[in-house]
Amino acid sequence: MTERAPVLAAQGLTRAFASGHQTVSVLERLDLSLAAGQSLALIGRSGSGKSTLLNLLCGMDSADAGTITVLGERFEAGDGEPAHVRHRRWAALRRQRIGVVFQDANLMPALTLLQNVRLRAQLAGQPLAPCRDWLERLGLAAEADRYPDQVSGGQRQRAALAMSFAMTPALILADEPTGSLDRHTADEVATLLFDTLARSPAGARGTTGAALILATHDPELAARCDRIMDLGHRASAGRASTDTSS
Amino acid sequence: MTLTGALLSHYRRHPLQLAALALMILLATMLWSGVHQLTGQARDSLARAEQSLSGGREAVRSDGQPVTVDDFVRLRRAGVCVMPWLEVPDPDGPGRLVGIDPLAGQCLVSDSHSGRAPALDGDPFVDIHRAATVSAATPVDSPLHLIVGESPGPLPPGYESAPFQRGPDTGELGRSFLLNLDALGALVLMITALLLRAVYRLGQAQRETSFVLLARYGVPDRVIRRRLVLEILLLSALCIGPGVWAGSALARLLGNGFGASLEGLFDLPLYAGGTDWLTPALVMTAVVVLACVSDLLVPARCRAWLDRGGRSLWPGVILAAVGGAAVLVVSGLAATFAAVAVVFAGVGLLVPTVLSHLADRLAARGVDELRRWRWRELGVMARRLALPVVALQFTLALVLAVQALVASFEQTFEGWLDQRLAADWYLDVPAGADAGPAADWLAGQLAGVDGAAWHRIRRGSATVASIGADDGTRASHRLDLLAVAPIGPLLTRWHLLASADRPWDALARGDGVMINEQAARRFGWVIGDRLRLGEAAPGAATDGLPVLGVYADYGRPEGEVLVAGSRWPAGQTPSFEGFAIEPGTADIDRLIDGVTRRWGGEAPEVQENRAIRASANAVFQRTFVLTRAMTLLTLVLAGTALLVMGLVFITSRAWYFRLLRAWGLSGREVFSQLLRLCLGLTLGVALLALPLGIWLTWVLVGRINPEAFGWSLPMAVYPGFWLELLVLSALIGLGIAGLMRRSLAREATS
Repeated sequence: MTERAPVLAAQGLTRAFASGHQTVSVLERLDLSLAAGQSLALIGRSGSGKSTLLNLLCGMDSADAGTITVLGERFEAGDGEPAHVRHRRWAALRRQRIGVVFQDANLMPALTLLQNVRLRAQLAGQPLAPCRDWLERLGLAAEADRYPDQVSGGQRQRAALAMSFAMTPALILADEPTGSLDRHTADEVATLLFDTLARSPAGARGTTGAALILATHDPELAARCDRIMDLGHRASAGRASTDTSS
Repeated sequence: MTLTGALLSHYRRHPLQLAALALMILLATMLWSGVHQLTGQARDSLARAEQSLSGGREAVRSDGQPVTVDDFVRLRRAGVCVMPWLEVPDPDGPGRLVGIDPLAGQCLVSDSHSGRAPALDGDPFVDIHRAATVSAATPVDSPLHLIVGESPGPLPPGYESAPFQRGPDTGELGRSFLLNLDALGALVLMITALLLRAVYRLGQAQRETSFVLLARYGVPDRVIRRRLVLEILLLSALCIGPGVWAGSALARLLGNGFGASLEGLFDLPLYAGGTDWLTPALVMTAVVVLACVSDLLVPARCRAWLDRGGRSLWPGVILAAVGGAAVLVVSGLAATFAAVAVVFAGVGLLVPTVLSHLADRLAARGVDELRRWRWRELGVMARRLALPVVALQFTLALVLAVQALVASFEQTFEGWLDQRLAADWYLDVPAGADAGPAADWLAGQLAGVDGAAWHRIRRGSATVASIGADDGTRASHRLDLLAVAPIGPLLTRWHLLASADRPWDALARGDGVMINEQAARRFGWVIGDRLRLGEAAPGAATDGLPVLGVYADYGRPEGEVLVAGSRWPAGQTPSFEGFAIEPGTADIDRLIDGVTRRWGGEAPEVQENRAIRASANAVFQRTFVLTRAMTLLTLVLAGTALLVMGLVFITSRAWYFRLLRAWGLSGREVFSQLLRLCLGLTLGVALLALPLGIWLTWVLVGRINPEAFGWSLPMAVYPGFWLELLVLSALIGLGIAGLMRRSLAREATS
């Protein structure tokens, strides 16, 4: 594998949640690194911390300890940086550089598919003209003017991918993007995701393509990624994670 | 777990929802039953008094002075069947007690044409001894009446008989006023029913999954429906009792002001009465069942039809148009209220649809995608929150209209007081003193003094009859009589509602009379009609005196006739006599000393303009205490309901605000979107409430007020108050956004 500049690096990430009178540790001293154009699958049983890790990596949640460096911006837990300044830096990254895809409900229900894609592109400061093209490339030309509740679950997920690509991200974080789809549709969406990723214009931002981290229970989807990190094994085995290249 | 347990598990999970339902039922019951108790008490006691004394007459003194215990003794000794009637405030609650002497009243039974005994036992009647004790302990004067039955026969010299009327002589005004309050109560009930329905349906939507699950487990649909009806009946039973009790407490709290209003406005006494539990309990149970579970009782096909109708503009437009046209053409309070209800129903259907169409149209025009999203969300909010939105709109319109009515009245009343209280000083002539020499002395002292003006006032009562075109005397009425002399600038600045040519000059010459608006409306007298001041004016021309003008006379129910001093009936002692003095450059202390000397050193009671004005304003404030309290409480209720519903709605959309955060909007930007959305909704509702409120103001002022109060008011609008309502709506929007921000902040762990 060619050595490329890291898009994302995390060291010693720790996160615990209060549950009643107890504190449940979800992530402990996790290290992670991802280069531009690379993909990483997070696998593990439910509750193993996949979604928590994704939330930490896009700044929707804050780590109790550890450091995250993403696209040149460094965030260190407990470094005394005012919360509002840290939130603002994360918000700027999410707005322009990080695409986030959830298992479902990625679209505003009151807007059509096209309007959703345009909204995401506009927020990222990208031109609006290619938005319809993105929908066409993902096979949604006929559905562009329909509302989310008028299309199928697979079409909604494809629209969510179109939204992420329309903002030309450097990093895409996807939380079980095919989790709510049937096998056939899941394969279709996954193929579109990896094909489009390979042709993504993120290189225009000075990298060789968008990096992808996805959380999934689907071994076939995970197998399409460059690397797999098994958080469940990590948790049951103690501190070590299994990070394999596929 | 039993089926009931499974159904009720929703409220274990959402206890606040159950608490909100319970609180709304309790508050709605309190508001409506409180008003119902007061109006019912007024009606019952009036009916009681009317039934007891229908056709009855009382003995009055020919000299116009109030009767006393001495008069009672004198009449009894003369062999007249007479019973004392002493009204005193009830020391234990709102309303009045009537002290009577049942033994003295026995003879009235045999005198009665109907032969039936007056029903003078129980509330509000008590033994006169108790009433006298209460009267002695009360600073307020309690007038004594001497009832003489239906046909008393000749009375001793110095006395005459007059109809004994406790209220109904003011025509139907008193009843109209009560109907007015009932209508306000019904509107409040409708608004609270809408809010109740909104909260209940929210819960039902959340429980829908459980119902589907139970149906899959084989529980028949009808069983679930029955349990739901039972559940709401149980909740009603638990809340309505305390609600009626609270309503009773509210009635006690507002009762004195309400009684004083009735007394002051219509001369209707509010007699003491008990609490009616059954009617409010039945009405409120019916309202709660209709508001909450009526859907379960309507066939599915009809529900679908109603839902389709609810999304169309036409049903609302047609209802509003038909109701609006009906308001213009119907007569009578009940019909007007019904027409207003139809308009409200139409507007209620129209507003959520209009708001949502408007939002969608604005969204279609937008080029900014975030703004487009906000408009679309606003449209969704308007549809989903239709019931609380309509309830808030109705409440805002009601508050606006009532405020405009009260403010118009206040403004008109102020202007009227300025005319009536034109002088700076008022001197009451001491009892037994002769005002004549003082009048002559004042005339000499103030002649030619810069800015000085004065007149002598005499008040009493007179029998007034209108003269028909055939010179025949029509029905006569006992009216208040006001005589003023000289007719000067203190009087001629009165605003006349209608007048003949140069009316004040003709009045000063004694060539006519003026009447107040109450007399004109009640007896249908107009300018040019001829009136004869009965036997109290033996010197008057037999063909009567023409009506020269009609003047506004707010805050009292009685008809009144104004004459020049020279027309005061010879030999009649005024019940009140005084002077109004504007001293100009003269020294008022010197003038008071002067008149005091004319009365052998007995000082007159001197009242300053400011004190009289304060007292009049206090009466005014009391008049609308109940109306204001009801509208304020309803506004609080509607505002709170929209706050709760808005919060629940926004919570259901919380994910989309989280999505905005995931797309890179900062916390502040997300809150800004939230704020604009909430403000857009509440301000939109307030803006749509404005035209409805202005229209309702016109209905209240132009149609309902003359029928309910007996006098008309000019229509006025108060943009300053609109601004206050907009600010209030903005505060509700801010409240929803603020609470939601906390909720979002809790969710986003940071």
